[in-house]
Amino acid sequence: MTTDIAKNKPAARGLPVAVLLAGLSIGFFVAVALATGEVAQLGGQGIVGLLQRMVALGLVALGQTFVILVGSIDLSVAALISAVAVLASHVMQGDPAMILPAILLCLGLCLAVGLVNGVLVAYGGINPLIATLGTGLIVQGVLAASFGALQGAVAREFQVLAYGGVLGVPYSILLLAVLSLAAAFVLDRTLFGARVYAVGGNPEGARLAGIRTERVTLSAHVVASLFAGASGLYLAARLQSGTPWIGRDGIYDLESIAVTVIGGTILAGGKGGVAGTLAGVLLFASLDAAFNMLGIDAFLKQVLRGAIVVAAVAIHAVRTKGHVA
Amino acid sequence: MSPLPQTSSPLRRPARLAVNAGLVIFLALYAAIAFLQPNYLEPGLFMNFLRRAAPLVILACGQLYVILTGGFDLSMGAVATLAVLAASILINGDPETTWAVIGTLYVMGIAVGLVNGLVVAFLKVPSIIATLGAMLSVNGLALAWSGGAARGDLPDNFRNLGRLVWRGVPLVGTLPLAAVVLAGFVALAWWGLNGTVYGKRALAVGDNPRAAELAGTPVAATRILAFVVSAVSAVTAGILIGGFSGVSVNAGEGLELQAIAACVIGGAQLLGGRGSIWSAVFGALSLFALFTLLNLIGLPQALRDSIQGVILIAAVGASLWRTRRRT
Amino acid sequence: MTAAPALSMSGISKAFPGVRALDGVDFDCLPGEVHAICGENGAGKSTLMKILGGSYRPDAGEIRLAGANVHFTHPRQAAEAGISIIHQELSLLPHRTVAENIFMGREIARRGILDRAAMRETAAALLCRIGAQIDPQAPVSSLSIAMQQLVEIAKALLLDARILVMDEPTAALDERDSRALLELVGTLRGEGVSIVYISHRMPEVTAIADRITILKDGRKVWTRPREAAPIGEIVRAMVGRDLEDFYPPPPASPPGAVLLAVKDGANAALRDIAFDVRAGEIVGVAGLEDSGKGALAQALVGDAPFSGGTVALRGRPVALRTPRQATAAGIGYLPGDRKREGLALRQSVRDNALLTLRSMAGLFTRPGRGAFAPRAIDGKLRDMDVRAADFGQEIGTLSGGNQQKAIIVRWLAQASDILVFVEPTRGIDIAAKAAIYRTMRAFADSGRGIVVVSSDMPELIGVADRILVMHQGGISGQLPRGAGEEEVMHLALGLADAPQREARA
Repeated sequence: MTTDIAKNKPAARGLPVAVLLAGLSIGFFVAVALATGEVAQLGGQGIVGLLQRMVALGLVALGQTFVILVGSIDLSVAALISAVAVLASHVMQGDPAMILPAILLCLGLCLAVGLVNGVLVAYGGINPLIATLGTGLIVQGVLAASFGALQGAVAREFQVLAYGGVLGVPYSILLLAVLSLAAAFVLDRTLFGARVYAVGGNPEGARLAGIRTERVTLSAHVVASLFAGASGLYLAARLQSGTPWIGRDGIYDLESIAVTVIGGTILAGGKGGVAGTLAGVLLFASLDAAFNMLGIDAFLKQVLRGAIVVAAVAIHAVRTKGHVA
Repeated sequence: MSPLPQTSSPLRRPARLAVNAGLVIFLALYAAIAFLQPNYLEPGLFMNFLRRAAPLVILACGQLYVILTGGFDLSMGAVATLAVLAASILINGDPETTWAVIGTLYVMGIAVGLVNGLVVAFLKVPSIIATLGAMLSVNGLALAWSGGAARGDLPDNFRNLGRLVWRGVPLVGTLPLAAVVLAGFVALAWWGLNGTVYGKRALAVGDNPRAAELAGTPVAATRILAFVVSAVSAVTAGILIGGFSGVSVNAGEGLELQAIAACVIGGAQLLGGRGSIWSAVFGALSLFALFTLLNLIGLPQALRDSIQGVILIAAVGASLWRTRRRT
Repeated sequence: MTAAPALSMSGISKAFPGVRALDGVDFDCLPGEVHAICGENGAGKSTLMKILGGSYRPDAGEIRLAGANVHFTHPRQAAEAGISIIHQELSLLPHRTVAENIFMGREIARRGILDRAAMRETAAALLCRIGAQIDPQAPVSSLSIAMQQLVEIAKALLLDARILVMDEPTAALDERDSRALLELVGTLRGEGVSIVYISHRMPEVTAIADRITILKDGRKVWTRPREAAPIGEIVRAMVGRDLEDFYPPPPASPPGAVLLAVKDGANAALRDIAFDVRAGEIVGVAGLEDSGKGALAQALVGDAPFSGGTVALRGRPVALRTPRQATAAGIGYLPGDRKREGLALRQSVRDNALLTLRSMAGLFTRPGRGAFAPRAIDGKLRDMDVRAADFGQEIGTLSGGNQQKAIIVRWLAQASDILVFVEPTRGIDIAAKAAIYRTMRAFADSGRGIVVVSSDMPELIGVADRILVMHQGGISGQLPRGAGEEEVMHLALGLADAPQREARA
């Protein structure tokens, strides 16, 4: 073992997993399109549609990637998405002048929830599953109690986010692309990114190396909440008005975790990245589109979704040595 | 490396302390209810309270098995919904088939529990994700089967399990059948944990699965059995719910979190290793009393979720604080 | 020696609930000096270093760096003050590159954006300085333990540390790597770095240290220059009593029939394992950190089973695919890491002692009857002299020695034939150690067998009737009772010219 020479292979950053997954997803999508004769799906319109399916889940999943990388998890995103969508439509009430205040208010809410999550997990030492499940429930309950019957709609101008575009590319896809690149840049090229990997990979080692691990975990939670907020705003723009259940109905909590894990980010933290997560999102979008082409009914789709989520996590988890509860 | 003291700390038998806490909370809450509505002190209304609390208590007992081993079962609510919808479809108005259908319901429940357990134990998927996935699938299955709407009606002999009340019973006056089912189920759940070696195995697995495995404990089997018990309790609760409130597509919605919150209130420790059947029973009664109280003072139903969220965080925070204070 | 000490710690005390980890310890280190700290496990070495590194705050005492008083509340402050600590447990990120690891927490960045090229270059230069041929771009998981250790050292040197603490740096290294490391320590000393060197390896300590300090039970015994501290003195000061009566006497009668026989045992970490254990015998297993001695224990208890070869118990072949099968076959396991692998800390002493019995019984067995009754197990716990106010109390509140004894009771209750002990006395005080050795002897004398894996060489030599020495996953030789540390070391290092006292069976 003294003669062990360091293998001179470049650090693999989840790229192979991402490429494999993306290839698989696209292959499946094309195969189903051909098999069902929906060749139109393979044209520009179809591709744009496929990418648009990625936006809502993609945005949440980017944030989820940060928290999972840091060794935590966020189950409150679904409730937060609902809260943001409802708040946006409630504050705007169709008035374009209120767009900016609404967005700021929503992001403020996300910041607050993210901070609470982060404080509970990083400083309170509360298991992140329970802490974020708890905050999610609190947000959901307050939301349902206070906004259940309220009406509201986002401003028409705001809906451009979901329906407008430039040169045939919807703004929403551009938003996802830009935020993905930003997230990738942050994780790969910045001090904060390096700290995220350090804290997730070896919390004690990171602390001994002088990193204020609590701050990093807290920041990751804030990032996750802000991304959930972005997703909520997008959904509000798409649906014109938010309801207190869109997050829960979209199962964004579970699915964002699932796509992140499928993309090669390990639940223990410290390994993975944005590319894999996006590939995971693409897989889910392709499956979704394919189910539609195949005409599978909504309930059966839900059955398959549940099974796929578990199977996807299992593919990575099954090699875990030791026990999982 | 720091050796711990040779002599014992004054903190002993925390399980019994926790039980008392759950009971105390329940008594306090019930006293508050009785203060607002004095007739809750009559045996009849208390029995009615028990009848309505029965599904939650039963679910909490099942959930407790999983919590002791260190996991969660989030699929309970979906299984209860499935039980209600499946019963209405399978019985299809024919009272003759009721008992056979109830058997079928349990078979379906056990199947879900087995899948949950196998996925967690062998595929190493964290139970929170595995059972959330199962929740989606089971819910989808139930809805697909029923076509997304409540169909058919349940015959009286089925509904009686939930709503039959015997009158003129000595001592208590009225005795709902659901309360008897409740007592039977709790007794069975108690026996499982205290009358067999299973309970201690489950505690050891929840406390330290690795140590348990190395000491020869069948860790996987212990986990799987917990999920099966949990699913069985969900079916039982589903049958009672179908009895009170008839067929509905969201019969079991949210019950899984209530069951978890109940166990936590009663002093069971999330992620395993501590708790007893009384944590589940008194925790569930406390939670149900809390809901009743909130109803009485006119708080919106929707805030239940928030209250559960606060309870979860507070309970985990409190147990964390207790352990920190000790070391 | 008139230079001002680079580091001076005086009157350092630290208590944890129920134990005084440090009691008024003084320690100093001059610039360009290697000062070794020796002491048994639990003597307070690690606590002292954690205080120096800012992980713990002392209850009393002060720390001066080059004469200036300092107070650390976070490891970061200690690091900024020029103190670098290489910890016993590697604190690397396996999925990240060597360069990223070296710069963990101290990345070169301009306005938050990393300068990867600069970090690569600096890392390469650092690795070159310590003579390590490692590609800064390689992921750490692809490196051997020895190389990971070098990465740790490079990490520590990054800050131009004036005080470098090395906690058992050679524990995982073989002879060649250790020698290279010691040379490196010499070089650093020449550069004026103060080095605090913690090690169990006496020859190393006396070779490299300028001064030696002995800690025992949280107190300083003495500090002497190397010339005034022969190995014998050091050991006596560490142990605090003569070693002779410490270990039980060898058995009067020769070992009996073969209980356990392993032939051609192999798996990913092991090759050509063949040995047997006789009734009444304690067989020791020695070897360096990654020699496979831990893997052998795991294979015997079915935790990381043999993939080839045969194991026979009392002449009958047995399958040991899982710990449960091994338990059923009569093999018990006392893991080295009690907290993580041995105990359910929040359960009672009684429940921990009953764990195996309950696990192997039928599911519907009624607890509280017969062997399962509290009274029966309490008797066994008392026989083993487990000290607790109440056997119903959580086992986490007991001392390490009492915890270990409770685990022994677990296997005695199950009436196992073979016990596999791993590091049986790690972190256990002297008195409890002697009790555990006596128990091991008594267990063997009752016609059963013990395999004891340990990195504590005096322990193996004192307690084992026969020592198997492992090297690179195989058994490189075996030595009878009475062998010396030198002989064991030779075999452990895989040196071909080892003095062969006994040919392999």
